[in-house]
Amino acid sequence: MRRILLTLTILIALSGSILAETITTTVNGMVCAFCATGIEKTFRKQPEVATVKVDLPKKRVVLTTKPGKTLSDAKIKEVVTYSGYSMGKIDRAK
Amino acid sequence: MKTPYLLLTCSVFSFAALAQAKPLSYVGGTMVMQENDETGHTLSVDYTFDPHFALGLYTKKEIGGEEFYTIGPQLNTLLKRWNLPEGQGNIFSMTGAGISRQGSTNQPAAWAALLADYETRRLFFSYEPRLMDAANIETSFWQRAHVGFAPYLATYDQLNTWLLLRVDHHPAKTDHVTVTPLVRFFYKTVWLELGYSSNNHVMVNWTAQF
Repeated sequence: MRRILLTLTILIALSGSILAETITTTVNGMVCAFCATGIEKTFRKQPEVATVKVDLPKKRVVLTTKPGKTLSDAKIKEVVTYSGYSMGKIDRAK
Repeated sequence: MKTPYLLLTCSVFSFAALAQAKPLSYVGGTMVMQENDETGHTLSVDYTFDPHFALGLYTKKEIGGEEFYTIGPQLNTLLKRWNLPEGQGNIFSMTGAGISRQGSTNQPAAWAALLADYETRRLFFSYEPRLMDAANIETSFWQRAHVGFAPYLATYDQLNTWLLLRVDHHPAKTDHVTVTPLVRFFYKTVWLELGYSSNNHVMVNWTAQF
């Protein structure tokens, strides 16, 4: 019984590290589709990022990371700032 | 100014604000802009190498007054940006120097402009004063304003449409003040503007970003 519990614990821990992460960040100033392309393209260049979706009505960008990868808040802020915008809040989900 | 244009100007201004291509894109992005209007034919290619700077080549054939050509490098600078939850405001400068040619005469030329804009997803406003010094060919001050609104709120993946009014004041031209109602379409990194000015010129502008 102990072995089974231990195995399950290890499997759960491992699965957490290989799951992709969905990160949603709001972006202040992102009001124009023409301009938002810069954010999309800059995030796509990040090696940790698998998909990028711009949600213009809600002024947010939804990122999906590659399995086992993540993107720190500092890195997200750097990309948003580098693209010419300022970052709002960040939500993460696995 | 003809009465219908004056009425249209007033009505659009009453909605609130206006639009124009920003002279910077994202870092690593190249922007090609081509404008054909009552003031001439312009082609510019800009490369954004920093969040605050783009360097490019500017060329224009001036019409509607003195006819001459100008070409030279131009530096576009983002002087100030306000990123707000529901809008964005910017102040840019565009400065360049090169050569103007009229007939067989070449003269050194320099130009400087400021562009201030504010936009939300629904409204757009911009104002651009510009100084041009082409020595003996032309020395002029020119200003332009746009006001416009989006009749519907498009998503990122849809075609965006804007209805705008452009007002130009260029004392060096034959018609000092012109008003151009125009429609702008853009889809992601490509946009097209079509208009017709109060002095009966068709306006066709396009911009593409790579």
